[in-house]
Amino acid sequence: MSTPVVFDPMTLPSDDNVNAYTFCVELKGSQWFLQKGKMIAYYGQIDFNGIGHGRFERLIRTSFHSPLHASDWVVAEGSGKMLLADRAFDVNSFDLEDGNLTIRAGNLLAYQPTLALKQSIVPGFLTLIGTGKFVAASNGPVVFMEPPLRVDPQALVGWADCPSPCHHYDHGYMKGVMGGLRSLTGIGGTSGEEHQFEFVGAGTVLLQSTELLMPEQATGAVPHEPGVPGGGPGGGGQHGSTPRMPGQLGDLQRRFGL
Amino acid sequence: MPFREINAKMVEAVVGPGQKMYSQRGAMLAYRGDVSFTPNVQGGQGGLGSMIGRRLAGEATPLMTVEGNGLVMFGHGGHHIQVINLAGDTLCVEADRLLAFDGTLQQGTLFMGSQGGVMGMVRGQMTGQGLFTTTLKGHGAVAVMAHGGVVELPITPGRPVHVDPQAYVAHHGDVTNKLSTALGLRDMVGRGSGEAFQLELSGNGAVYVQASEEKL
Repeated sequence: MSTPVVFDPMTLPSDDNVNAYTFCVELKGSQWFLQKGKMIAYYGQIDFNGIGHGRFERLIRTSFHSPLHASDWVVAEGSGKMLLADRAFDVNSFDLEDGNLTIRAGNLLAYQPTLALKQSIVPGFLTLIGTGKFVAASNGPVVFMEPPLRVDPQALVGWADCPSPCHHYDHGYMKGVMGGLRSLTGIGGTSGEEHQFEFVGAGTVLLQSTELLMPEQATGAVPHEPGVPGGGPGGGGQHGSTPRMPGQLGDLQRRFGL
Repeated sequence: MPFREINAKMVEAVVGPGQKMYSQRGAMLAYRGDVSFTPNVQGGQGGLGSMIGRRLAGEATPLMTVEGNGLVMFGHGGHHIQVINLAGDTLCVEADRLLAFDGTLQQGTLFMGSQGGVMGMVRGQMTGQGLFTTTLKGHGAVAVMAHGGVVELPITPGRPVHVDPQAYVAHHGDVTNKLSTALGLRDMVGRGSGEAFQLELSGNGAVYVQASEEKL
């Protein structure tokens, strides 16, 4: 923490963190997928090509399965060292071994093409399947927790091998006369914690230590098909409306045009 | 129940039966076990009287009561967290900096004008802290939020500590504070050092200072 460390191409780490906020990827004729704008510097000969480039037809067929947000990703190819960072958020690499991990779309920076990127059924999340390394950003260091666990929606970075991410609503304090009054009028407020994501079963849940979200990255719209969650009105069977949170004014709100 | 610091921006607390804890609304990150979060209309302890007092003082932050049996993790807004253990002394802190605190601590509001009279009021206006501050007294732990890291500076008799009002987070112990000015001619013509106002804390205790001049 005293004098600044000067790096050159030889001393830069290979596929490791330079500091908490910067990650260095070494390319030796290999390829990496990265989200646009996350590269801050590089040494050597590296080409950045948008996805949709004809040459990558095969690569994309095997390891990129979100055709609708292809415009957010580029392929880095060549040899050299490349530094990745994202708005001073903490950056970490994770290794997957024949596993699967689902991550918030805005938090994923880059991944090796040995992994396959797929859009999760949960809107706004991406799933990585296979073996390889990927780099993700989080606000504050990532904390790993084992289920059973309930997590604030904003604090969730992702999960691995968890069979059951689902919503959980606390209705305990809505009981009784006061509770009824509260849920009807919204007076008295909500604790802000009556809605969580619940995880049970074997696996790992990744938390970021704050509730400050990375800006939501467009993950591409899912096709408007019956049975596809988030697939537009009628698609998810929710009749196009979000579920009403406890403490909201309810239908009164709409009636008074609030 | 003490807080365990998981990293600079996250703390963990164990809640047991019969124990109670207060936390800022929306500050829960995750929990395990059977824990309930109830919005607290009074904004803390005491009855209607203390609620009105807090409202008038502008020290009413939305708090919630955390009860049950389990493990809770707290964090908020990407702010750094400092855990302060109190052993019978009083902590003065702005209410919106409170992340979570033990239910056994006694909560109150303090009129800052009572320390330093008119100058105390001027200080409140200058520092943006207002005229009132929240006090917590007793034995227990408090998790306080700050922008950037926090350093603890001890205050001993005869050796007062001067703090930039914007970087001041909290203080505990038997401490009096006053606003000291170093206003000179240069400030009048706009050539000041930008450090014309300082908070002077003297007595016996400690002050917590954040590494940033940004308010929460």
